Amino acid sequence: MTRRKFIRRLIGAGSTIVVGASWLITKASPRRFLRAVRLKKYPGPLRPLGDISKPSKWSG
Amino acid sequence: MKVQCELCPKECLIEPGQSGECRVRINLDGVLRTVVYGYPCSINIDPVEKKPLYHFLPGSSILSIATVGCNLHCKNCQNWEISQANPEDGNVAAYFCPPEKLISLAKTNRCSSLAYTYTDPVIYYEYTYDTSKLAKENRVRNVLVTAGYINEQPWKQLLQYIDAANIDLKGITEDFYRDVCSATLKPVQQALVLAKACGVHVEVTNLVIPTLNDDPEDIRQLVRWVKVNMGGETPLHFSGFFPRYKMRNLPPTSLKTLETAREIAISEGMDYVYVGNLQSKEGSNTYCPGCKSLLIERSGYTILKNRLGSGYCPNCGKEIYGVWR
Repeated sequence: MTRRKFIRRLIGAGSTIVVGASWLITKASPRRFLRAVRLKKYPGPLRPLGDISKPSKWSG
Repeated sequence: MKVQCELCPKECLIEPGQSGECRVRINLDGVLRTVVYGYPCSINIDPVEKKPLYHFLPGSSILSIATVGCNLHCKNCQNWEISQANPEDGNVAAYFCPPEKLISLAKTNRCSSLAYTYTDPVIYYEYTYDTSKLAKENRVRNVLVTAGYINEQPWKQLLQYIDAANIDLKGITEDFYRDVCSATLKPVQQALVLAKACGVHVEVTNLVIPTLNDDPEDIRQLVRWVKVNMGGETPLHFSGFFPRYKMRNLPPTSLKTLETAREIAISEGMDYVYVGNLQSKEGSNTYCPGCKSLLIERSGYTILKNRLGSGYCPNCGKEIYGVWR
């Protein structure tokens, strides 16, 4: 192998490692959110609003 | 792709399809979504004294809401049936009530304020934020009842629309917060100080649990922290514990323990100290810290006498901390 070929292979391998590592980091690092987006449909059961005039049984 | 929720100090790292610790903020296709926006599980009209707020529009009615979920998991939670519920389990039904409808309900029922309470408004942050902003525009005041477990940036953004808050200081040691609440103390202390600094009317509640945080020295330390960091004028409520949820092995707090806590706080220079969840004659009333005359007499959540129309003691003229009109 000539020196030129060796250097070409070295650069190729190096750039593959750099691209691969940066892809991994992007994939592995989470997207950060301060605010959540509203989900339109409630996943649980719904009921109609009844009498709200009495104090709640819950504390607070 | 994983998402990270940066709303509260837990900063949950959420896998696709999963929720954070609060159970209501989920990762759907790499986007953080709130499932409870516009879907409260409880809407009721309470007396403001129930929050408890004793120095904020006494005798007024307050439209109070909560969604399911909580970012804390206190072993003694009094509202665990809703705070520790998963919306999709189907055990707790919700109402469809967008912010506009809440404002309209408050107005038609002559409620001067809206409370975000029962569970923790931090976890339904976007719903609380949008509703409180709209309420402010419609001259309805906003009250938070919270454990104050939230990061600084979202807390500051929310506080600009908040008129009053009752914030729990559940204990004064990291051990207590870790063992009983699965949380940490420092962020709560920061939230308390920030709320007061932002001009919000703040009252503090400490739930006294036998053997866990009822040691007189712990109470003294907690009181000193409140006095130094928030001021002696901050109303302080000592509430009684009842065996609930995962803490049924302890007895309820005795009236004597609560009254001792009140005496400690007064001896440390706190101006307004109250006893909650149990009937205490002196611990229910507001007295002038200057001349000691009775200003507001209460029985439970009922105001029997209010001599404090303008916010000044009618006897000695001292200004009384609070929002009175």
